Amino acid sequence: MPNRSIEQKGTWHVIPENLRYTAEHEWISEPRDGVVRVGITDYAQAALGDIVFVQLPEPGKVVTAGEVIGEVESTKSVSDIFAPLSGTVAARNETLDDTPDTINTSPYEEGWMLDIECEDLADVSGLLDAEAYAKLTE
Amino acid sequence: MTETSQPIQSPLRDRHDALGAKFAEFGGWLMPLEYGGGGVVAEHTAVREAVGLFDVSHLGKIDVSGPGAADFVNDRLSNDLRRIAPGKAQYTLCCDDSGGVVDDLIAYLYGPDRVFLVPNAANNAEVAARLAAEAPADVAVTDEHRDHAVLALQGPHSARVLADLGVPADHEYMSFVTAECAGTSIVACRTGYTGEHGYELLVPADAAGAVWDALMTAGAPHGIRPAGLGARDTLRTEMGYPLHGHELSMEITPVQARAGWAVGWRKPHFWGRDALTEEKATGPRRRLWGLEATGRGIPRADMTVRSGDTVVGTTTSGTFSPTRKIGIALALIDTAAGVDEGTELSVDVRGRALPVKVVKPPFVTPSVK
Repeated sequence: MPNRSIEQKGTWHVIPENLRYTAEHEWISEPRDGVVRVGITDYAQAALGDIVFVQLPEPGKVVTAGEVIGEVESTKSVSDIFAPLSGTVAARNETLDDTPDTINTSPYEEGWMLDIECEDLADVSGLLDAEAYAKLTE
Repeated sequence: MTETSQPIQSPLRDRHDALGAKFAEFGGWLMPLEYGGGGVVAEHTAVREAVGLFDVSHLGKIDVSGPGAADFVNDRLSNDLRRIAPGKAQYTLCCDDSGGVVDDLIAYLYGPDRVFLVPNAANNAEVAARLAAEAPADVAVTDEHRDHAVLALQGPHSARVLADLGVPADHEYMSFVTAECAGTSIVACRTGYTGEHGYELLVPADAAGAVWDALMTAGAPHGIRPAGLGARDTLRTEMGYPLHGHELSMEITPVQARAGWAVGWRKPHFWGRDALTEEKATGPRRRLWGLEATGRGIPRADMTVRSGDTVVGTTTSGTFSPTRKIGIALALIDTAAGVDEGTELSVDVRGRALPVKVVKPPFVTPSVK
């Protein structure tokens, strides 16, 4: 998997080429059977610092693109999680209840947050690609 | 106090840059919040289990010297300097006539003719001005805010780090010694703001880099980590130590904040004496308590506290406790609510009711002595 990296204050952040992004620093996987996986980017976890608490919606919850659907808290601050697109929550990563710092150590793999069954798969192509997201964080 | 448009830089700015620090402004000074490759939790844990080094050069520094300087200070600040001998330091308060707290500070008693004060960064100029306004002609109140760096070496291994550098480390809690370190004369006081065995070192500003380097090198075999003000805040909150502007302020008296132990009640004179004596006699309308989250969530400062549906108080500080792995808070609770240890309340966390239990801080057993 080719990765793009950006340097921010001497630290390199990974931006995988095969994912989509939002301006709120979330990543969205390619849909598989109509379901996308969602998390926050490497850049976002680094900016937040040590993540100590995550609040996410339960499976079955219907979400609308742009609405606040959860929270992620670090030792020093709280950030909202936004629905990157409309659909229904298919799964949430329950391991984050006990080990929210997984988001720090593995933001794109074990630290995923939600699976969302998309209302309209065309919405995915409207999200930022890796190049556009990299520009946004420069 | 005067606001400067540009934040003041610590004399250790280049050391922090080299360590990948993230910065934040504290009382007009740009100070390290956390370090690259560390982070608040790792830095917090290093202080609890090994040793951490903080740059707290933003802390205020005021020299009060001249005949009778100690008596002059003792007639104004709250704690009783006659309780300690020269060579010892004391936690004390600078109150207003209303009993509100202008600042909390550490007073180093050198002798009857010299006291050195370490207030908070934001209040240094105000404390200096209030003292200078009443100082006798032969007592000089000198603002030395930028003349000294302050390094806090904190943690169970801190004594070994100093000993390896030939700096005396065995003096008792709240006492200070003058010593040589990295070719310069420093003052090492057995104090801190973390609940761990530790020292705060007063260092000439131009020697700060050399002393920092010596401590980091000597500390390496003892597991030292540079620690930022983010960890300093989680460490002090676990101890229930007050932070001015949160648990103590012009609106929050020491009687309300349970800091009455830092008031020399029998002294004939100190700022705020009449108001505080009356409040102590009649009982405060609210009191500081600790809150431990019993559900998932993290209380933060300035959140509403309820008993059932009734508002009973406000949080003054709140954080995730890296040691306990739960949300903790300090809160001012109305006396009329009649809470006690074990009382179940809730904190309004952005519209969600987080269940909490009332406790007496500290949240973590201290080992300062």
